Formats: sequence, C-alpha cells, structure tokens
Amino acid sequence: MNKRFKSGLLTSLNPTRYNLERWSYTLHRITGVILALFLIAHIFEIYHVTLGIAGWNQTIAELSNLGVFELIGMWIIAGSALYHGANGLRLILNELFGLLLGKPRLPEYPYSPMSLGRNQKIVIYAITIIVVAIWIWAGLYLLAGLGIVRW
Amino acid sequence: MKVRVLRNDGSKQWWQEFSVESSKRATVLDLLLNIRETQDHTLAFRHSCQMGSCGSCGIVINGKPSLACQTRISELKSETIRIEPLYSYPVIKDLVVDLNDFVNKHRSVKPYIIRKNPQELEEAPMEFRVTSAENMSFIQYDYCIMCGLCVAACPTVALDPQFIGPQALAQAYRYIADPRDEGFKERKAELDTSHGVWRCHFAGACSYVCPKGVDPAQAIQLLKREIYKRMFVRGPKVGAPVSVLAKQEKPISNQPKAPPLDFKSGVNQNE
Ligand code: SF4
Ligand code: FES
Repeated sequence: MNKRFKSGLLTSLNPTRYNLERWSYTLHRITGVILALFLIAHIFEIYHVTLGIAGWNQTIAELSNLGVFELIGMWIIAGSALYHGANGLRLILNELFGLLLGKPRLPEYPYSPMSLGRNQKIVIYAITIIVVAIWIWAGLYLLAGLGIVRW
Repeated sequence: MKVRVLRNDGSKQWWQEFSVESSKRATVLDLLLNIRETQDHTLAFRHSCQMGSCGSCGIVINGKPSLACQTRISELKSETIRIEPLYSYPVIKDLVVDLNDFVNKHRSVKPYIIRKNPQELEEAPMEFRVTSAENMSFIQYDYCIMCGLCVAACPTVALDPQFIGPQALAQAYRYIADPRDEGFKERKAELDTSHGVWRCHFAGACSYVCPKGVDPAQAIQLLKREIYKRMFVRGPKVGAPVSVLAKQEKPISNQPKAPPLDFKSGVNQNE
C-alpha cells in the first residue's frame, strides 16, 4: 500500500476528537463496505443456481453448515443495511433538499456551525435509537431461527 | 508542561519532546515561540497576526486541526501537548506545509463575481446593489481566512487528494449565492464532477474545526441542492444589470446632496 494512501486511510477512518456527524460518516462508510462485500458474495451465491438443482441444494447445505458464523454474519449485514439505509435518508434530506442545515447568517462568536446544529443531532440520535432497537429485534429473530430463543 | 512536536526536515520525520514553562493564559503559539527562542531555533512554523485573522498558524494540536494563536493551553486540559503539521498537506519543514495545491483549488472555482458582460464590472456607472437580506445568504462564507484547517480535517481529502475540498467549495457557493453573479455555468464545469462537489459525503469535520464560523459543510450541501435544482429550473433572475438600475433610479451624482455639516454649532444640535 502506498504511504500516502495508508496515512490518508488512517486519518480518514479516525473520528476521535471530531464531531458526531463525522462519527456517523465513519460508520456509514464502514457499513457501506460491508454491504458491498456482501453484495458480491451474494451474487456469487446466486450464481450457483446455474449449476442445476443438485448444485444449488449443495450450496445451500454448505452455507447452513456455517451455523453460528452464518448467524453472526447475517446479524452484521442486517445492522449494516439498517444503519446505512437510515443514515442515507438523513443525507438525502441534507444534500438533496438542504434540510437540517440551518440558514447562512452573520457568524457571531463563539461560532457554532448551523449545519452541525440541534436538528441534525436530534435526527442522528433518533436514527441510532431506532436502528439499534430494530437490530436487537433482528438478533432475537435470528436466534429464534436456531431455536436458541423462543419467539 | 511537555510539548511533543512532530518534526520533519524534508526527508525524515521524528517526534521531539520539549519541556516548557507555561502560564495559564499562554497559547500554543506562545509555547512554540518560547521553544524557538530558548531551546531550539531550528523549529519551523508559520504565524503572523497572533489574533486569528491571518490564518497562517494552522497546525494539528492533540489530534485536532486548530489555529495555534487561538488555542489556549488551559482549554486543552492535558499535561502533554502533541503538535503535528496539518494533515493531508505535503510538509516542507516541521510545521510548515505546502499550500500551493490549496490555493490553486481555491482559484479553480473562480472566487470572484462573473458577469456575462465583463464590461459591467469595469465601467459600471452605478454600484451593484445587494440588499442586506441578500447579503445574509453569503456573508458567512466571506469570513474565511484561508487557514486550511477544514481541508486538514476532511476525511475525504485524506483519501482523495484531487477532491477540491471544503474551503474552495464553500467559496464557490459564496459566489453562486451572490445576487450579482452570473457565473453558475462556468463554475459548474469545475464543481459538477466526481472530484468536485459530489465527492463530499458530509462528515462535517470542516465546519467543526473552522475557527471563523464559516460552516463550509453547510455551503457544500446547499451547493449540491443548487446544482440539482438548476437541472430542472432556471436559476434566479440575476441582479438587475446596471443599465436597468440606472433607468430606475437616479445615478448617485444626480441625487440631492446632503447639506454640509455645521461643525461649529455641533452636529446634534437639534436632538
Ligand atoms: S472555511 Fe474555515 S477552516 Fe476552512 S480555510 Fe476558511 S476559515 Fe479556515
Ligand atoms: S497568527 Fe494569524 S491566525 Fe494565528
């Protein structure tokens, strides 16, 4: 890996010392990468359909052999999709409609940027709470599938 | 008080530690000046105004891009201060970074008023009018002192050196929002690209570190909205050309002159 890219990647993925929005940016990127990898794996899985019924059944059987790993994997993918989707909606409000950003004004000391203001924060917290709640529910649902939890 | 500085002589970099006496009111810039005066005169850093107006003292203090002259030691609340040159810029020496690329990107968005008829700028018989309400829509972005902190804080610049960056994009929006400007199409060529405005994913770190309350993140999102919007609708009618204004109102030279002030008897004598 080239040095410039490596230090850039480290700087880019390190939101400590920064604002809440940058944390959600980092999470958005990471979940995005997870979803992209999942999509590739998923397309590869679907491709086995072309091997006929026997081939497909074998693939499914092999996948269900993964047991707990499949469960954890599914749970991570569910969480990623939830967060990426919900945060994506917020970004659409920001970028397409210019909402939650406040209006430009005469800056007065001590400066507090409007685009990182209260409305933005409320929406981020709301998204986090909703996503975590649904994610826990999804976890229980997956556990129920394995018979570990009674649904 | 311990100060750790990431030094760089152009070919290699190393951490160097200094112990410095400091008073409660001292700023990080004071510490650096102190070190240079009493301990190591080879330490290189930039500064000028010492009051947050020139934008030359940007460095990374304890992991956050900040102006050295505007950061008090007491507000850092740490016994050791870690000082690095601004992220994402090529380092020339110690804390001095190369700002050429930064300035060129600023230039590339044409940060000045563009008129379809450039003569209007050269030979205007009257001033271009901007109401104070209109002024409010961009005055915030005028506060930029080009310190470059926003670019150092931006996680996207860190990964894509070709990205125009928050400072230049905010300035592009400042001129697009200006009611006197007719340069949207010209600037769009630079902005509506994959290394332009669409590369921004709104981490907001630029606005968080900006020492002047410019809020570049806001400008960039509004710029995106403007570009979307103008795919479907025409832009606002750009400020009345000078000739129309001249028809509507008397030129300044023809307006009645205010009576001269009577200094002898005092200005506010009737009040
Ligand atoms: S927008 Fe703010 S942080 Fe960026 S260069 Fe201007 S003053 Fe500095
Ligand atoms: S010395 Fe001018 S901004 Fe710090």
